[in-house]
Formats: sequence, C-alpha cells, structure tokens
Amino acid sequence: MVIGIGGAGGKLAYQLDPKCTVVNVSETEMKKLGTESKILASVHSVRGQMRGSRKDPGIGKDAFFSIREELLHRVEGELVICSTGGGTGNGITTGLLEALSTRERILPADKTSFALILPYAKLEPAEFIDNTINFLQGPLSEVIDSGNSGNIFLFSNRLKFTSRMSESAYNQAIIDSLRDYYAVPEKGEKLDLLDGHIDYEDFALFNAKPYFNHFTMFTFDPAEDYEKQLQKNLNPYLLPPENPIEALFLLEIPSNGDLTAFYDILEFYAEQNVTPVYGVVENPRLKQPRITVSMLYSRKPMELVEDFNQVSQKHTQAKVRKSLEQHVPLPKLEVNLKKEAQKEAREKGANEEDIIKVLQRLGKI
Amino acid sequence: MNRDVETNLFQEQVNGLQEAHFLVLYWVAVAEDRGLSYNITNCFDDLKARAVTRTKQTATSIIETLQYLRFIDVRDEGNRKNMYITPHGARALESLVREHNFSPQKSFYLEA
Repeated sequence: MVIGIGGAGGKLAYQLDPKCTVVNVSETEMKKLGTESKILASVHSVRGQMRGSRKDPGIGKDAFFSIREELLHRVEGELVICSTGGGTGNGITTGLLEALSTRERILPADKTSFALILPYAKLEPAEFIDNTINFLQGPLSEVIDSGNSGNIFLFSNRLKFTSRMSESAYNQAIIDSLRDYYAVPEKGEKLDLLDGHIDYEDFALFNAKPYFNHFTMFTFDPAEDYEKQLQKNLNPYLLPPENPIEALFLLEIPSNGDLTAFYDILEFYAEQNVTPVYGVVENPRLKQPRITVSMLYSRKPMELVEDFNQVSQKHTQAKVRKSLEQHVPLPKLEVNLKKEAQKEAREKGANEEDIIKVLQRLGKI
Repeated sequence: MNRDVETNLFQEQVNGLQEAHFLVLYWVAVAEDRGLSYNITNCFDDLKARAVTRTKQTATSIIETLQYLRFIDVRDEGNRKNMYITPHGARALESLVREHNFSPQKSFYLEA
C-alpha cells in the first residue's frame, strides 16, 4: 500500500494506487482525491481545517503529533510519497522520520521506503528550497544514520520545468517508472527464468536497506558497453546516482535471445566491488533485451544539498548558501560496528560466559 | 592417530570457521537449550535477515560444512531437517567464543 502525505504526495500516491492512504491537514485538499482511506491531521487554528500548511513545515510537524501512532503503524513496510518543498508533506514527514530515527530497531519487513519530490531550485519559490535544505540536513540525515528507513527515492522536479511538462504528465511519468520498478519481482515470478532469481523476498530485502535508490530501465544492446548505455539511460526523474553500494537488475531477453550478456553486467559491478542481486528471464513479447536496474548509494544529505544548489541560478544559490550558513553542520559520527555489536550483545546478556553456560547446560562440554 | 595430531586437526578446523559458521552453531545451541527445534529453513531465514547471504545455496553450504565436520547433526524429523549441536560442535563453539572475536547476534526465529 502507498501513503501520500501532503498535496503533491497525495496526488502521486492516488495515481500510483487508487486504494492508497492520503494524509493532509486540509479537508479541501483531501476531498479532491477519490480515495477512501484518509487521515486528517489536526491543526490548532481558529480558521479550522480548510487551509493547508501554507508552505510552513512547522504547521505540518505540529499536526503530525495528532496522528503519530496511527501513521507510524500505517507506514510499516510501505512506500511514503511526499514533496519536500511544501508545508504539509515536509512537516508531517519530518515528524515521521524523527519518530522512526529514535526507534530501537526496525525489522526489514517493517521498514518504510520514501519517494521524495525535490523542487527545482531555479524556478520554484525560495521557501520550497529552504524547506528542502532543512529537510535533507535534519530528519533525512538522522533517519539514514539510524538505519531505520528503507530505500529513499529522490525525484527531482527539474525535468518538469526544463521540458515544460504539465503536472499530470510529469506525475504520470514518475508513477510509470515507479510501477515499472516495482514490477521486477512479479516478472521474476511469472516469466521463464533463465539465470539468477529475484523473488518477492529478495526484492523486499533490497528495498529495506537505508540507502538512496536510483533505478532505471532501458532497451539493452548486448554489443554495446554496459556502462555507456547506463550513463545514457539514467532515470531523468531521479537525481543521478553515486557509486553504488548494492545493485539489483532484471534482464529480460526475447525468445531464443542470447542470455550471456548478463555476465558483462556482473563484471561491471564486480569492478566496483558490488555483487548484484539479479535475474534473467525470457520475455516473448520483447524484440530486444530490456534491463531494469537499481543501484543503492549513500551520501550525506549535506552533499545532496550541494547537488541541489548546482541547479539553481546564482541569485538562488546565494540565498541558499546564506541559509546553509545558519545551520549547524552535523558532527561526523565515528562508529565502530564491531564494538557496537559486542556492546549490544553484552547488553542482551549474550556474552561469552552465557554461551559457555548454555553448552554446559546441554551437557556437551 | 595420536592425540596431538587430533587436537591440531580440530584446532585447524575451528580456525577455518567463519562468522557465519559461528552464528549457526550459536543459534543451534540456543535453540536446543530452549527446547526448540531449529531447522534449515529457520537458519536460512536468520542468515538472510542478518545479511550474511541472500542465497539458499550459500546457507546450505555453511550448514553442510558444519555437518561434514561433525559439528552439527542434521536429522530428518517429519518433513523438517532439524539441527543439533554435537559435543565436537560444542567444543568448537567454546573455542570460537574464547579465542575468536565473533559477536553473537539475535536469531529472529528464536526471539520471535
């Protein structure tokens, strides 16, 4: 199930799945969508619930506390869609991410994925940019450090403005690409398997990792270099990826096609020390091979903010930098995973002596 | 074969074990201690959840290694293959705990 938060998030979620849940502070906004599942967050305002958050994430964040428990329960294992520019999507999702960050541990099956729509700095209001920068540096950074989120998809509004697309066409393009990506395990199950395997469980585990996800799909020419094809066909709606930490791909081959091309793809990722989860299937409806590939990468939101700035004009950049200077940089957290694991194990009581006692109780030593 | 040679072989076998083998031995011992059966599928789920492996083949090879070293017994019970730690396996786990720096991790199956 999909959960759309705020105006933009609600619209996208509804387009992706009409049975989605929408969350908003404005009844008027929610009534525009036909979905049955709605959560109205309360705003303490004498003007009632008819107005939105007016680009102020503070209003959205306050409203989050009125639906905290219900929302935390609903998002378990689901995809949340919101924009980072406005007040409601940003504010409520900020509350949600902060709550997730403070949880002790979330099982992979319960991790929430986030599709975030970032504004186009050059042409969108300055408040949207400031809200986004605060969001990336604050709650998003925290949830990544905590490891308590699933994949995070960073969509950018850039192409909408540079290609002068209508909002509905742009939204539809995002939804189509998301749908295509989420169809991977279904194809793995329904089409004839030639090599490797991606089942629902593998796919869910991949999506439960707390990294940024860049996915794309394109017609694949086995005679051409994979890396060149990938660079040419990156998903134009998502921010470009960094070096991948993990990868997943599904290669669809027409009937009687050459399936050995996938070895080249595996080699490409092996050079980057990545062992992809992959599947090769036969799709008789295709005339040429087609690949759906997803790469997980991890960067501090601070660097993302810099990326974000690159697309803005000089005057907007000056404004953004000014606001960045006002923020305290996050201290670098040095974590020794081994020591942390030992500490945690000790806290749980499973130390050396406990294990020896178990073996003695069993009478085996 | 004299006892020194046996001891050396045992120690070499234990030194060759990796963290995945340690975790399986540990989970098998905890399960037996709690009177629970722990089968190959439970073990595969735990190894997957702990991101040790994504494939059944690797999980099976980890288990088979322990079985061939006679560190665990794999018994057909009903339609399940349940695992039990042997006295050699218990000594191996003891040695891994005392001399290697592996940290026990929770089994989702046993803690559920």
